[in-house]
Amino acid sequence: MATKKFGIVLDAKKCLNCKACTVACKFENTIHPGEDDYRIWVTELELKGTYPNISQEYQPSQCQHCENTPCASVCPTKATYKSPEGVVLIDYDKCILCKACMTACPYDARYENVHLHAIDKCTFCYQRQPEGREPACVETCPTRVRVFGDLNDPESEASKLLARNHTYQLKPERNTRPRLHYIK
Amino acid sequence: MAAHTENHGKSFLKSLIVNNKDIPAMPFIILGLILCAVGGFAVISVFVKGHHEAYGVTRQVPWGLLISSYAYFVIISTGIAFIGGLGHAFGYEKYAKISKRIVVLATIVLLAGFTQILMEIGNPLRMVYMMISPNFKAPIFWMGMFYGIELVILAFELYLIFKPNQTEADHKLAAVAGFLALLVGVLATSNLGYVFGSLNAREWYHGIYFSTFLVVSGVTAGAALLILVHTIVYKGSLPAELKPSMVSLGKLMGGGIGVMMFLYLWKMLSSIFTEPGDAYMSVMSLINGPLSFNFWIGEMLLAVILPLALIVTAKGSIKKLSMAGFIFLIGLFFTRFDFVVAGQLPPMRKGLAGSGVITDVAGFAFYSPSMLEWLVYMFGFGVFFLLYFSAEKFLNLETESHH
Repeated sequence: MATKKFGIVLDAKKCLNCKACTVACKFENTIHPGEDDYRIWVTELELKGTYPNISQEYQPSQCQHCENTPCASVCPTKATYKSPEGVVLIDYDKCILCKACMTACPYDARYENVHLHAIDKCTFCYQRQPEGREPACVETCPTRVRVFGDLNDPESEASKLLARNHTYQLKPERNTRPRLHYIK
Repeated sequence: MAAHTENHGKSFLKSLIVNNKDIPAMPFIILGLILCAVGGFAVISVFVKGHHEAYGVTRQVPWGLLISSYAYFVIISTGIAFIGGLGHAFGYEKYAKISKRIVVLATIVLLAGFTQILMEIGNPLRMVYMMISPNFKAPIFWMGMFYGIELVILAFELYLIFKPNQTEADHKLAAVAGFLALLVGVLATSNLGYVFGSLNAREWYHGIYFSTFLVVSGVTAGAALLILVHTIVYKGSLPAELKPSMVSLGKLMGGGIGVMMFLYLWKMLSSIFTEPGDAYMSVMSLINGPLSFNFWIGEMLLAVILPLALIVTAKGSIKKLSMAGFIFLIGLFFTRFDFVVAGQLPPMRKGLAGSGVITDVAGFAFYSPSMLEWLVYMFGFGVFFLLYFSAEKFLNLETESHH
């Protein structure tokens, strides 16, 4: 039996920019207020077209849980590591706060958590896994922008979405092989 | 037996202590004390406030002034050790003549650099995990290894140069240690280029350029500091036997600046042609962006043009060479600062609403060092001035005879 491979398939066209995901993330993971303190974000992309025919899209994003992890490679103490399901996690006790992972990450997904005194980032709400619950951002989204699941299981909703749609990943030129797939 | 050893140890230490009245060390020791006091206040403030509050680094620019100042000091140290290796191991007589001062200077400058990295790293105590749970793939692990080994080699060299009644075997050991200091120093500095070069996200640092540039500019800076220190110690009138050493260091410095210019030229030109990539943005931040003053005035004028002009026109004038060294060492600060910061100014996503990224109109992220960062940098200088000029005052750093 193949091991699980967690990932998220996003349909950004469904995003309302309500930012419920960012709020749910902050509550679930006790993220304190601070300009740089966030695990996920929703970028308002540039307007397309000319007035009056204009449109706008949003791009929700977070740590890409790369298969080829530039952050883990540069961590001198192996504080950044992967779970068996490929979720990139941080052992806070080992983090020396050298910030090499922050500079190495092409997605600007990491920040300094003052309260943990370590680098922090999205963990796909890994603490919820024993209960079989989805990440908070997935669970709270009113339009189901994000679909979380086991990409190794062809019967998972995420795998089916991935099979049915043309998708893209962010910054493929960086060869990080992200676990976040955006539907075109 | 134990008492005898203790007495012997005491007399050995006592025999090292002298009081050099001719060396104008006191003003620098006092300056060092002042900088250590002010810097010490900053260090305590950082511990009380926490790094996050105390420093100006951000999520977009996580490495700032203290990484630059760390690089500034430790690369000068390995540059000095390189010159020492040329004297000790490769028989360059002109450098062997000043080998004692070289070893002491390299050690103290390295210690000054360590103050910077210890204040930059948020959890230095957890560095024990570099031993318990090392990641051999991580360049920072090797950085710690190489600089740690360099310090041990320099400490061993210190022991050898101050050891009374030196034998032929000691000289041979010193040659081996000098060679190892050169070798490990070059590895440490080039690996520092790799620490940056291994950052997937930051195109500016990729390639062989910085590993090479850091080694070359480090040797150049080592020569600059050695000339400057000798000029201070001898109040501008060096003994005749040391003048050829200084002239040779001047030539080394001039050659180093020449190679730096060569490297600059091709790095800048090749980066410009990467438009619209991040390396292009980085080079534009230097030429015509937020770092342009640093680049043109600091890097180009102070670290290249003025010192080179002084060296070329020096014609054996130690005064001019020391002036060139002084100006170069000021310019080198900008060189190190720009190297660290320019690579991080291109943000990882556009500074659009909701992205969490804040940029200027040209699309660059912001970084401005905080007052406490500057003061911690001053602490590094304080440690250097205090320790080095105390060594000049209370130890005999003249290299009497050598192999």
